[in-house]
Amino acid sequence: MNKLIFSLVLAFAALPALAATSIKATVNGMVCAFCAQGIEKRISSMPATKAVYVDLKKKTVAIEAKEGETLDGKAITAEITDAGYDVVKLETVQKSVEQIKAETKGRK
Amino acid sequence: MRSSFRNKVLGALALVVVAMPAVSGPMGFKDSWMAMGDFSPNWQEAFANYALTPRDAVGASTLYMRSDDLSKSRQLVDASYTRLVKRWNQPQAQANVWFLGGLGNVTGNDFSGFKAMASPGIQVDYETTRVYASAGARLYRADGINHDYAFARLGFSFYAVDYDEIQPWLVVEARRMNGLSDKTEITPMLRLIHNRYFVELGANNSAQGRITLMYIF
Repeated sequence: MNKLIFSLVLAFAALPALAATSIKATVNGMVCAFCAQGIEKRISSMPATKAVYVDLKKKTVAIEAKEGETLDGKAITAEITDAGYDVVKLETVQKSVEQIKAETKGRK
Repeated sequence: MRSSFRNKVLGALALVVVAMPAVSGPMGFKDSWMAMGDFSPNWQEAFANYALTPRDAVGASTLYMRSDDLSKSRQLVDASYTRLVKRWNQPQAQANVWFLGGLGNVTGNDFSGFKAMASPGIQVDYETTRVYASAGARLYRADGINHDYAFARLGFSFYAVDYDEIQPWLVVEARRMNGLSDKTEITPMLRLIHNRYFVELGANNSAQGRITLMYIF
């Protein structure tokens, strides 16, 4: 019984992290930080955005939604296009930007 | 002489356009301001523009030019228009063709008053995370004045970096300006990029220092 309660407590504690939703965009043309800053700036100013992570090596941009907000893939694509780049793939992942960043840095 | 120089510039540009598509562009992203400075004893330029669209920017610039023998100087102040004519976004590279245009007034130490000056030009660039190449030509024309200008740049970065790290590059530039210098200026430069900061430091083949800066607001 105690084990069950302990497991439930652990599961509830982990819920916020599991609930984090991010969109990962694969972007063509993203070759330098000076140029790619437009992507970060434009997406950061979107109302549903909690955090943004630009990965120059994998050519991806991860965008995490604020709690209770939904990310709009079309709007994100439009912002990246306005920053001068082409989005070739969008995927939704159940991870926070911090988790994605940690995974990327951890692989090096 | 003038025609021969122009033909050489056009020929070089044509070769470049055919051989490779182009660098950090002369404008920022939509709704951003870009400020740029390029300073050496014979060339001092300050420039700012605002990107109205992802492809169009308007701004103003001031340019001081001086001849190698120090006998002649020019001061140009103009309104500028920058157009991204074409961009190729590839998985590991980006290439661009830019139109640059300026209209303003030039003063000089060998004539009185000022003259209207037009400065249309073209720039092409190609860049990956490790390699950078660009070339361009610009006409600086006023009544009785021809300071047509051409440049080419080639560079590489020492290693690839993450978005939040400083990236060092070695870039070598060759440039010429008609009517002010009869030799090609070669300048190796160390370029440092960190997010919105862009700095180049170098010295040319006449042992003159040079610094270029760019910042996007």
